[in-house]
Amino acid sequence: MKIDNTKAQMRKGILEYCILGILDSSDAYASDIIAKLKEAKLIVVEGTLYPLLTRLKNAGLLEYRWEESTSGPPRKYYSLSDTGRSFQAELKMTWEELQEAVKIITTTPTES
Amino acid sequence: MNKTININLAGIIFHLDEGSYDAFKKYLTQVKNALESQEGGAEVIADIEARIAELFSMRLDEFSREVVSIEDVNFVTDTLGSPEEFEDDSQEYSSKQTKSSKTKKRLFRNPDEKFIGGVASGIAAYFGTDVVWIRILFLILLFFTGIGFITYVILWVAIPEAKTTAQKLQMRGEPVNLSNIEKSVKEELDGVKERFGRFREENKGTQSQIGNFFGRVGNFIINVLEAIFAFIFKFFSVILIIIGSVIGFVLFIALFGVIASTWNIGGFDFINIDGAVIGFNAAEAVLGSGVDLTLMRVGTLLTLLFPILGLIALVARAAGKPLANGRMLNVVGGISFFVGLAFLLYAGGQVANTFKVGATEMSTIELEGQTFDLRADLLESPEGFLFEVDDDKLRIENVSLTIKKSFDTTATLVMKHRARGKSNSDARNRAGQFSYPIEQTGEVLSLNEYFTVPKAALYRGQELRATLFLPVGSEIFLDPSVENLIYDIENVHNIWDGQMIGHTWKMERRGLVCLDCEDVEYYNTEEIEEQIEELEESLEDDIERKIEELEIEIKRLKEN
Repeated sequence: MKIDNTKAQMRKGILEYCILGILDSSDAYASDIIAKLKEAKLIVVEGTLYPLLTRLKNAGLLEYRWEESTSGPPRKYYSLSDTGRSFQAELKMTWEELQEAVKIITTTPTES
Repeated sequence: MNKTININLAGIIFHLDEGSYDAFKKYLTQVKNALESQEGGAEVIADIEARIAELFSMRLDEFSREVVSIEDVNFVTDTLGSPEEFEDDSQEYSSKQTKSSKTKKRLFRNPDEKFIGGVASGIAAYFGTDVVWIRILFLILLFFTGIGFITYVILWVAIPEAKTTAQKLQMRGEPVNLSNIEKSVKEELDGVKERFGRFREENKGTQSQIGNFFGRVGNFIINVLEAIFAFIFKFFSVILIIIGSVIGFVLFIALFGVIASTWNIGGFDFINIDGAVIGFNAAEAVLGSGVDLTLMRVGTLLTLLFPILGLIALVARAAGKPLANGRMLNVVGGISFFVGLAFLLYAGGQVANTFKVGATEMSTIELEGQTFDLRADLLESPEGFLFEVDDDKLRIENVSLTIKKSFDTTATLVMKHRARGKSNSDARNRAGQFSYPIEQTGEVLSLNEYFTVPKAALYRGQELRATLFLPVGSEIFLDPSVENLIYDIENVHNIWDGQMIGHTWKMERRGLVCLDCEDVEYYNTEEIEEQIEELEESLEDDIERKIEELEIEIKRLKEN
């Protein structure tokens, strides 16, 4: 078992939640989302994101509209749909629960 | 100066130099292959293309350049990452999230399980049935309507072969993801390794390196031959082994004829058993009985040995009983093929050298009388062959005769003997060695379709071009036996040679005129000439009458 692989799996699991999280605070271009995820070192290359965005959109969690761009072709401007919003809220709860659970498990034994 | 290529990305035009275009195209193809088969793949590809366009414009603005360079392409590929990476992510996702994700199957020809072109197995993979049923269907179509064959060929041409691993997976309808590709590639690699191992194992028997080399060469040639004959043999052997054998036999004879007649000039019908005989005849005529002929004959046999062995192996294989020591046969056949080829090339070079220079000798014979009955029956003619070798002479059937108007009052026969040789004197000497008897008894002038040369002179492109010059007023009857002798005789009726025979001709000032051609359909210039003459005469009459009338009129006016 490789450590890199496990790390990637972990990141992958929360990637979806993070995208929804970014869009929850404000609508964004794909490139904005990418920039933020890159900054947080959640993704390394951009290509990963496009299939994911399309899938989320097709699942009805995201909506988009076209916006003209000054430097290049028109861009997709993504926002959360209603289902996306509730989906995000649910994931947020799960995430917090998980975080708590992980904290308890990884810290308790050494403390006691 | 560098060439640039224009591309259109998401509606924006970019100029790429050639190097970066190749790199970029490769990358984009990988991306497409990775994403195409997925749900919403087209949209994702469009998104990615748009992003690339954005990145390109950004870079061009930043560095104020016009042309996309290889650095820009590298930047884009680094930024977006390699296609496997995004595929990996998405596939993990889809296999967990949506179990129902279906990969669209595509129709490919299956190169791994092919009998002829892999059409049937490709179709079977597409419909998920066993290939046997599809093949039976093709055979039924072939037997009862014959369209099976055409359908097969069309499908063969139209359906692409599954070349890449991704295509093979698509053919079977398995989703194209990294783990599947890995699995499939591994399977293939194992297969190759196994085959390679077996190949090495088998080749241990033939220890020497030369043996190995020829083994490989032999292998290569048999592969090529197999590719050529595969269609014919496989297809027909499925229908009936017998038909396959017949075709094999015909091909074998044809091959034999073709190779045996390599050195022969002029065209015959090779697809008969005589072909080989003619070939050897021609070879002897050209090469003589010296070392060259032996080389040629041995060379031919050695060269033939290989295709014969190959054909035997193929027939045995088609019959389902591959030869046990096939590889040994390949080695032997391969060696003999190349040795034979070397012999043939050497002999060929020798012969080509002796055809270098051409020379012509001329002889003239004065004929008696003004009436002739031309025949080509002086010597008995052997049927059909260009060459006949006797004990001491060589018969060559390459004579042509034409008839022209003489400016003299006597008829003459002018003959040009042509031959080739190593040097001018050699060729001239050979041209003087023609033997072409001519006999005139009364009106009958007997010639011949062939001439002979001494056997030692060999065939060196000898030909005889004869011209019969006839004085105006003389007559000649062309006996049907001269059909193959006469060539391109001009006549006033424009009748072609074949129809001139069997008729009597008179040489007039304007050329040869037929005296008894009523039964021949031809363009009769005489009749038309007569009509024109009549017309002219009547016109002249008219004009004269008119002039007379006018003169009378003038006279009358003057008097008044």
